[in-house]
Amino acid sequence: MSMFSMLEASGAAMTAERQRAEVTAANLANTSTTRTDQGGPYRRKEVVFASSGALSFRMALNHVGSLEPRLPAIRVASVVDDPAPPVMRYEPGHPDANTEGYVAYPAINPIQEMTDLMGAVRAYQLNASAVNASKQMLQQALQILAG
Amino acid sequence: MSNSITSVTTSLPTIPSPATPGASSSTQEEGGFFSSLTSAIEKVEQVHTDAQQQISDLLQGNRQDVHNVMIAVEKADVAFQLMMQVRNKIVNAYQEIERLQF
Repeated sequence: MSMFSMLEASGAAMTAERQRAEVTAANLANTSTTRTDQGGPYRRKEVVFASSGALSFRMALNHVGSLEPRLPAIRVASVVDDPAPPVMRYEPGHPDANTEGYVAYPAINPIQEMTDLMGAVRAYQLNASAVNASKQMLQQALQILAG
Repeated sequence: MSNSITSVTTSLPTIPSPATPGASSSTQEEGGFFSSLTSAIEKVEQVHTDAQQQISDLLQGNRQDVHNVMIAVEKADVAFQLMMQVRNKIVNAYQEIERLQF
């Protein structure tokens, strides 16, 4: 239904921003994690956003036969590791210290993560406002019939 | 909410055409305004079922995206409001005709 395409675009963006906030929160939670399943310290994660024609099979199916241009929907394409090398700190008593007494800590800057988090929250808010605007537009249209 | 909207329309008696009563007139009626109205109500019903499904999924913890559920509820609300506006317009037109004086 193209009547709700604006709502669907905002909803997809909100999903993407929520995932970005999730990844940032995971980064913040793991600022001093030295052990992971892959071995070594936690690697900082980053989301990659992509814009594609169809978000889901249903959306693609709904668009069949429609003459309107298809609105690209945002989605999280992948979550990648930050290639920055880990920060080495001299802690000889630490069980994960190497032979020289240095421990590899993830290269995460809490200030940068907090800024990212704020960005994600604001973008989420922005899209929530777009949802409300779309809702108001629909209600205004309905008021034509009522008036 | 558990009662479907379409159950209301199915319980309604079919209105025979007063001008030419008979089987031939009803076939003409089926393809017209009432069938499009019924299909529109069915679409509203479908949007409502979708919203209902998403709410129950959210409450059962099967999904985490609250905003998409809210958007589905909003869609259902707007669709229902549209249906109500069309219904009000039809009832108004009917009452207008009923008040005709000869």
